[in-house]
Amino acid sequence: MSSDLTVGDPPKPSKAPLFWMTLAALGMFLAHWLVFIYAPMEGTMRAVQRIFYFHLPSAWLCYLGFIMCAGSSLLYLLKQKSKHDAFALACAEVGLAFGVIVLTTGPLWARAAWGVWWKWEPRLTTMAILFLIFACYWVIRSFGGDSPPVRKFGAVLAVFGAPNIVFVHIAVTRWRGDHPNNIQLEPEMRVVLYSCLLIFIIIYALALRLRYRVHMEERTASALARELSRLGG
Amino acid sequence: MSALNERSLWRATWVIFDKDLRVELRSKETFATLGLFGAVLSFVFAFGFIGDPAVNLQVAPGVLWAGLLFVGALGVGRTFAREQDNNAFTALALSPIPRTAILAAKVLMNFILTAGTMALMTPLLALLLHLDLTPFALPLASLIGLGALGFALIGTPLAVLAVGARFPEVLLPMVTFPLVSPVLICGVRGCAALFGTAVDDDYWAWAQMILAFDLIAGLGGFFLFEWMVSE
Repeated sequence: MSSDLTVGDPPKPSKAPLFWMTLAALGMFLAHWLVFIYAPMEGTMRAVQRIFYFHLPSAWLCYLGFIMCAGSSLLYLLKQKSKHDAFALACAEVGLAFGVIVLTTGPLWARAAWGVWWKWEPRLTTMAILFLIFACYWVIRSFGGDSPPVRKFGAVLAVFGAPNIVFVHIAVTRWRGDHPNNIQLEPEMRVVLYSCLLIFIIIYALALRLRYRVHMEERTASALARELSRLGG
Repeated sequence: MSALNERSLWRATWVIFDKDLRVELRSKETFATLGLFGAVLSFVFAFGFIGDPAVNLQVAPGVLWAGLLFVGALGVGRTFAREQDNNAFTALALSPIPRTAILAAKVLMNFILTAGTMALMTPLLALLLHLDLTPFALPLASLIGLGALGFALIGTPLAVLAVGARFPEVLLPMVTFPLVSPVLICGVRGCAALFGTAVDDDYWAWAQMILAFDLIAGLGGFFLFEWMVSE
């Protein structure tokens, strides 16, 4: 019966996620130890600066997720393959999860550093608008049904949305700008930052893989259900 | 052969645009709705923001561009509504003309509707907020025109796809507004520079940025449109 299906056979269960999940969990403990105990106290910002070790890697991975979503969406538009769409959706979801970390830790830092929760500053504005665009993408994909027009709508949104951000950034930079730039890090701080980045990359890849498989298996299940109802009818 | 294709592209664009314009001129349905909506919006904004002249001049750019977004969203949403009757859009997509011609004609129509409504709404707003915008008429018109074009270029291809989706009336503004945010930022800052409320700023630099956005959004939209309506 499965030979009638356009989708592949269900993937075989693998033990790899368990290994990576354990590694990610241990990595998070390590990250907390590094950030709160190993990293030296920063001179001006004091303890608040420690937010930065979670904030910056999350921001990079959030951007990576959205860029990968746009790339995969473009592939979907050109080739119309379901796997590209499923991958784009998984990338957007993981990117949004990291985006939530960025938009939570950012204002916490800003309140201590600038005295306000939010500033209309290029990187904040860019991130906020990018987050909004991909939140719209996620809402459409979650509640709009899973028909080809909805998939295409999402793909076009992602393809237009990601490069759009360059414009937002240029526009707001011309308007105003005072995000911390060219931060000088002590060697220990650098170790903490890149360790956190590595651990976050593991979590990112793991989440991406899991969400992608969930989407692919959902598609297999609905293809099977359609096949069953066709045979029954 | 390519010359023929090129000619047929322009011709097909013109035929569809001419058809839309003729239907609109006969029924006046969309323009009347948009015009009235623009007037209602102007009153709402005036009630909300009216203050002394200096304050009015400061809020004017934001009010104008928020108006453009609302009017544009309403207009873009109507683009393919007429084609939905009798499944005319499928016929249009199946007809042996370049698909980009359909997009070009619809973008042109949306641009005319939005820019036309703004041409009525801007003087009304100026009147209600006691502003004298006549010294800035030409540069202001160019800024708003470029903004309306940007909105049409982003909103029109999305409107095609929204036809088949659930809740298109909510979906379309929800996705178009964040996507046109660069136009909004440049437009508001450009107007502020023009009205003199932002010191040391040049409106022309902002207009150029909207122009660059229009060019890139236009190229992207026309390139992708073929794949967007491939089914």
